Amino acid sequence: MNTKQKYVILVALFLIAAALIWWFASGGEILSKDGIWVEKEMTELDKALGLEPQKEYQEKFILGLLPHTAVFSGIVVVLSTILFFTFKSKKTMGKK
Amino acid sequence: MKTIIKTFIVLFAAVSMSFAQGFNVKATGEQTFNFEDKRNQVKFFSTTPLEDITGISNDVKGKVSLNVADIKSMKGSITISVASIKTAIDLRDEHLRSENWLDADQYPEITFAIKNVGNIKVLEDNRVEAKVTGDFTVHGVTKEVVADVTITYLDASDQTKQVAPGDLLGVQAKFNILLSEFNVENMIVGQKVADNIEITATLRGSNAK
Repeated sequence: MNTKQKYVILVALFLIAAALIWWFASGGEILSKDGIWVEKEMTELDKALGLEPQKEYQEKFILGLLPHTAVFSGIVVVLSTILFFTFKSKKTMGKK
Repeated sequence: MKTIIKTFIVLFAAVSMSFAQGFNVKATGEQTFNFEDKRNQVKFFSTTPLEDITGISNDVKGKVSLNVADIKSMKGSITISVASIKTAIDLRDEHLRSENWLDADQYPEITFAIKNVGNIKVLEDNRVEAKVTGDFTVHGVTKEVVADVTITYLDASDQTKQVAPGDLLGVQAKFNILLSEFNVENMIVGQKVADNIEITATLRGSNAK
């Protein structure tokens, strides 16, 4: 394994780790979401009516493991594999 | 003989009155409530090891009539549109409306029609708890379900006018259904989506005409 191949592996691992950290920090959801449900504050009248707190939809992208993090990681793996073998062949060709 | 008959009638009336459970509010007699408040909400909850899913509809409509002094007299229905259900994932909402799931084109509405009311427990003058049996229709299939319901009656006041004119009725209901009983048997039911769905309704109605 030459220096370029090591860089490829390091960069790939870094990108995948960053994606996983971002995913985890986004709430660790299995599926990416287009919005979230936010609990609305109860009014005095709603309390008097014996109602439970309601939820309100807000558009907000939440990164999930599927598909975004997994697809990104997959692309990184494929590209790094291609680069890994490209650098290997160049080195081999150079030696010849 | 007349005395005996009179006594019997009075006793019968007294016994009937004691069994009629209702609200002790200003309003009397039959009242009809329209549930058209935009904030009315019906929530569907599914939990599986893989994921919890909450689906919510705010497109809720219905009409409920009841005799204020006798909750058992309650009748009416509540309807939501399938197309209005949101689960926070647009693609999943599309799947939900598709033929393989609730088939919104063919069965655009989900309905709960009240059949009878039992196990009434008066909590306060204006609040009761009851088991409401009704016909629940989804995906073109109707099954009888029993909902745990809390009903609160509010006489019209300056506070209630902020929401709607007239007296208000607050309804908080909860029941469970099995999707498989309603012919919703998609291959991911039981994996990504639970067969057992908890349904919660939070409703406000007004008797203003």
